[in-house]
Amino acid sequence: MRARASAAFGLAVPAIATAACSGPQSALDPHGVEAQAVATLFWWMTLAGALIWCAVIGALVYAGRRRRRVFSARAAGRIVLWAGAVTPSVLLLILLGYGLALMPDLRPASALTANDRLHVEVVGEQFWWRVIYHRPDGPPVVSANEVRLPVGTRVAFSLKSADVIHAFWIPQLGGKMDMIPGRTNRFSLQATRAGTFRGPCTEFCGPSHALMAFAAVAMDEEAFAGWLEREAGPAVRTEGPGLDAFLANGCGACHTIRGTPADGTIGPDLTHLGARKTLAAGALPNTEAAIARFVAAPEAVKPGARMPAFGMLPEREIAAIAAYLAGLE
Amino acid sequence: MRLVPKEIESLWTLFTGPVVWAAHFLVCYVGGAVYCARREWLGFGFEWVRIGVGAATAVALALIVAAAWLSWRQWGFGTEDPPHDAATAHDRRSFQGFATLLLSGLSFVAVVYTALPVLMIAECNP
Amino acid sequence: MSAGAPHEDDEAGAARRRAQEERLRRVWDNPKGWRYWTAVNNTEVGLWYTAMAFAFMLFAGVLALMMRVQLAVPDNDFLSADLFNQAFTLHGTVMMFLFAVPVFEAVAITILPQMLGARDLPFPRLSAFGFWCFVIGGVFVCGSIFFGAAPDTGWFMYPPLSTDHEYAGIGADIWLLGLSFIEVASIAAAVELIVGVLKCRPPGMRINLTPLYGWYVLVVAGMILFAFPPLIAGDILFELERMFDWPFFDPARGGDPILWQHLFWIFGHPEVYIIFLPAIALLAMIVPTFAQRPIIGYSWIVLAAVGTGFLSFGLWVHHMFTTGLPSISLGFFSAASEAVAIPTGVQIFVFLATLLAGRVVSSVPMLFAGGALAIFVIGGLTGVMVALAPFDWQAHDTYFVVAHLHYTLIGGMLFPTFAGLYYFYPMIGGRMLSERLGRIGFWLMFVGFNVAFFPMHLSGLRGMPRRVFTYPEELGLTVLNMVSTVGAFVFAAGVLVIVWAVVRPKGGEPYARRNPWNAGTLEWLIEMPGENWGVRSVPIIESRYPLWEQENLMRDVDAGLYYLPDAEEGRRETLVTSVLDGKPIQCLRVPGPAYVTIVAAAALGSVFIFMTYKWWLAALAGGIVATAAILYWLWTGTAEIPEKPEKDIGRGVSLPLYVSGPRSVGWWAMFITMVGDGTALASLLFGYFFYWTVHPDFTDAAAGPGTAWPSAAVALTAAAWAAMLAARALNRRGRAGTMRLALLAAMALAVLGAAAGLAGPWTHGMQPTTHTYPAIVWTLVIWIAVHGAVGVVMQAYCVARSLAGRLTREHDIDLENVVLYWHFMLVSAVLTFATVGFFPLAT
Repeated sequence: MRARASAAFGLAVPAIATAACSGPQSALDPHGVEAQAVATLFWWMTLAGALIWCAVIGALVYAGRRRRRVFSARAAGRIVLWAGAVTPSVLLLILLGYGLALMPDLRPASALTANDRLHVEVVGEQFWWRVIYHRPDGPPVVSANEVRLPVGTRVAFSLKSADVIHAFWIPQLGGKMDMIPGRTNRFSLQATRAGTFRGPCTEFCGPSHALMAFAAVAMDEEAFAGWLEREAGPAVRTEGPGLDAFLANGCGACHTIRGTPADGTIGPDLTHLGARKTLAAGALPNTEAAIARFVAAPEAVKPGARMPAFGMLPEREIAAIAAYLAGLE
Repeated sequence: MRLVPKEIESLWTLFTGPVVWAAHFLVCYVGGAVYCARREWLGFGFEWVRIGVGAATAVALALIVAAAWLSWRQWGFGTEDPPHDAATAHDRRSFQGFATLLLSGLSFVAVVYTALPVLMIAECNP
Repeated sequence: MSAGAPHEDDEAGAARRRAQEERLRRVWDNPKGWRYWTAVNNTEVGLWYTAMAFAFMLFAGVLALMMRVQLAVPDNDFLSADLFNQAFTLHGTVMMFLFAVPVFEAVAITILPQMLGARDLPFPRLSAFGFWCFVIGGVFVCGSIFFGAAPDTGWFMYPPLSTDHEYAGIGADIWLLGLSFIEVASIAAAVELIVGVLKCRPPGMRINLTPLYGWYVLVVAGMILFAFPPLIAGDILFELERMFDWPFFDPARGGDPILWQHLFWIFGHPEVYIIFLPAIALLAMIVPTFAQRPIIGYSWIVLAAVGTGFLSFGLWVHHMFTTGLPSISLGFFSAASEAVAIPTGVQIFVFLATLLAGRVVSSVPMLFAGGALAIFVIGGLTGVMVALAPFDWQAHDTYFVVAHLHYTLIGGMLFPTFAGLYYFYPMIGGRMLSERLGRIGFWLMFVGFNVAFFPMHLSGLRGMPRRVFTYPEELGLTVLNMVSTVGAFVFAAGVLVIVWAVVRPKGGEPYARRNPWNAGTLEWLIEMPGENWGVRSVPIIESRYPLWEQENLMRDVDAGLYYLPDAEEGRRETLVTSVLDGKPIQCLRVPGPAYVTIVAAAALGSVFIFMTYKWWLAALAGGIVATAAILYWLWTGTAEIPEKPEKDIGRGVSLPLYVSGPRSVGWWAMFITMVGDGTALASLLFGYFFYWTVHPDFTDAAAGPGTAWPSAAVALTAAAWAAMLAARALNRRGRAGTMRLALLAAMALAVLGAAAGLAGPWTHGMQPTTHTYPAIVWTLVIWIAVHGAVGVVMQAYCVARSLAGRLTREHDIDLENVVLYWHFMLVSAVLTFATVGFFPLAT
């Protein structure tokens, strides 16, 4: 929002309000085409709504005063007709027309049919996100729990679910879309400014619904291309005691670390885990200690998580695994 | 010409406008949804959805205007003002006419609202 | 037709009146001791119903406070995720199903008869039955949380989370079956209230003089009839999946979770207006009283109530704006969602105009009414915002929507209901509630509510999703949440003050004076304290505000100068009048206290409860007891042949005691019930066609039921229907013997018809667990077969009544009603078998 909104309205949005609207998950702090349009729409509707509320409640308070004019039945009837029926019909028609006209602009169908550009597939799973970048040139890049996209181009998303209904939402870029088993929902987003945002799951999906989030990063076109190239590559370290422990305890049955024998696809891909902004789908900061904590007792961090606990392993071994994974940048 | 008697002794006529709105809404929604779900199978373009909704809207508005005219007549073409609260059959009929007229007005507006999306939206998406 | 002065001022007249009063009092008296609970008087049942609904509200309110404590600070562990999920699920479920809707029924049962100058509603035992169903189902659903077995997948129960046995255990079954049971009670209340408004108004109360509350009740009961059956249909599909693995919502076998969302929200959005309109109806009674003038724009209120009732059925997809439906669909629903704001706005301006055209008397009910408008208008305005799909994409499933819905429901329902509580309390309790406590309670509630919920608009748009048991500090939502929690407790304190005002002992206080608010409508004829008979005599009405505009009405009613001033035969009686002009057409005898309603409710409840635990035999036994109880109830309590054809109701008017066909209340009840039943079938058929739209080949290349068996089923059902018509014609000619034969033939044909329907999928080896196509076909034919079986029971009942001499040429209520049932049966069978038999050929 910030200065833009104030300028757009020619109104002084108080500084406090502006500060109160920012945040990594705030729809009122837009960095995307859709979020920007909706935030502007919101402020206009709020302004109009506040005026209407003041008028209605003003009339109510006036009606409660002892010393005032008593309206004739005819005059009161006219209030019902003009203020109650005609004016709202016209105002709502205008608002509806504007809202409908916005829909094809915000989510053009053409963005979904173009094959020559990046499209990102995100699969909601209890309680994390499988993210697959489909490039027009080159094989798909598999990642998890973090969505990156270039600034300035419209990126198509296809959204799926592996178990129950989830919903995909990056408030600072645009609205949300459900991920429904058996269906593929498609929409597009366009970031206007670089930044790091947070996207929560917004459809109740079980015990750890509150702990299912991802980091979203909008990057300049070139930076993004470089990042995607690195992300497509194998892990930076393909040997060491941490990896040995990882493989020996069967972690590779569920997780993939490209460049190593670990090629499971049940859980999140960990090839570049160390480079991610968060751990366990936004539930923990991405530190070595947090990895160790999660490996030892996933259920304690995320109730209902599918991953078995490895708390029975010697602490040393868990530490080695954690150190290895944290180093996978 | 009095195809429909002036004194309609039924409560059902009150609902004419809203029923037409409901039918129109269903036709639009079901038509649009079925088209978008089965468009390959149906094999024609979205413009036919727009034309269909337009035709349904024309029919619905015509029916509502007809209902409004009948109720206006029942109300006495506005020769008497509300509240129609006398304990007479005459006031009861005037009330029915006036209330039906109001509902026709609301239904007219609601049908126009319902038709608006096809003016703004030109494809199923997705 | 003014009644004039009492004719008899002498002592003989006074003695006669006292004797009349004594007889009326005895007839309408409630049973004593523990038999008190067999009472069916609308005042008793209404009171229990209201008290129980408020008790559930307090329970759900405590759950809300627990959630607010958990969310007061980030990363809190006051509640576990598991308990939090149970808490929010039950909070929504209880507030919606056990408070908001039942309290409408409760209040309507309590005040509507009095408002219409009726002695009771036409089916008092049905009201009592509904109440007992509500208590049993409600306690069952709420009690589950104390065993950690409460439903925990949200009040919307989205599959596949809710069909996942691992996550959603018995709680989901408790939700589905417990609430289905309560939905039955709601539909029973809807039947009762529609007939009540249309047929039980006092003589002379033409449709244009009906109290506005009556209009709202009519509209809302009609909405229940069309809104609840889709949910019942959804519940049936859901339980079939949970219990027998029929894959309606399982995408792996052709199912689709979206179908549930459609069925749930086809119910769920009208539901919001089912809650809102009756509360606004209370304001429509309160506002004129405190403006001390008739309402401005009576017809506009009718427009608003009817218009909202219709439009509310075109909104459901706005709960599904983010499910990826085509944008053209979103557009239609967005349009209807904006349009519904017009009638809602009209209502508010009618109230404003009435206040502006009157002199407003300050009072606690008016305070709550004003607070209601101030809050509701905000909820309405945010509703207009979220009705726009692009804005909803952001706001959906965030705390913005939590704020919005609480502003609409608390402003549109709770505050008006509290206004109604303060306003109508003297009618029930005979005393006024404390003005001082009322004002304290109001301000605590008003301030607390806004402090709690206004910040949620912001926390939602700043990214707080709904149904999260915790949130991280980095979101910057800490202060907003803490403020909300503090506000919630202030709000709760206000509610407690009002509860105290109601329940504190008032024995020493004087009774209120009669018509304490100087209102104009008929319910304020009641004496303080009230008599069980309601009105001393049923007046002739000539005005919308008879107490203001009809001189000496109260005196003449009390003197017994109007209709039914006596109970000579010791029977409970009320008047039935015509729909449009309120012409008296029947003196209806209504039944008195009975155990059978409690037995029937308990037995039916046991069916649902045993099914939850899959105790099939116990459920079957419960079903048999329930059926027997209902048949006994019908046999002893309905279609009674009176000892004389007509009765003098006073003022030289004689009315029949027995009428049948469309003039009788029972026929209307059957008609209304079957409309609801037809809606449930339509919902199942919607499911059938829904699967056709989502799959290229919805039959999955599997065999269907063919065309032969469905055709045979239609032919046999039509023959059964024709035999019913013949039976009715024979009865009208007085040929009882042949009539019974025709009924027996109809029974045989009905059984064959049902069997032929089932034979279609059976002979083609359709396996319902393999795919949705066989599953939905089986569901449809079983639905028809069950209805055929019910039809056969009805036919057998007619034969038995005829043999017992309770069904004769002149006394043919039973037969008329069963014929009506078979009209619907025929239409249902034709639609169903045409669909399952012939639609696959068209694709």
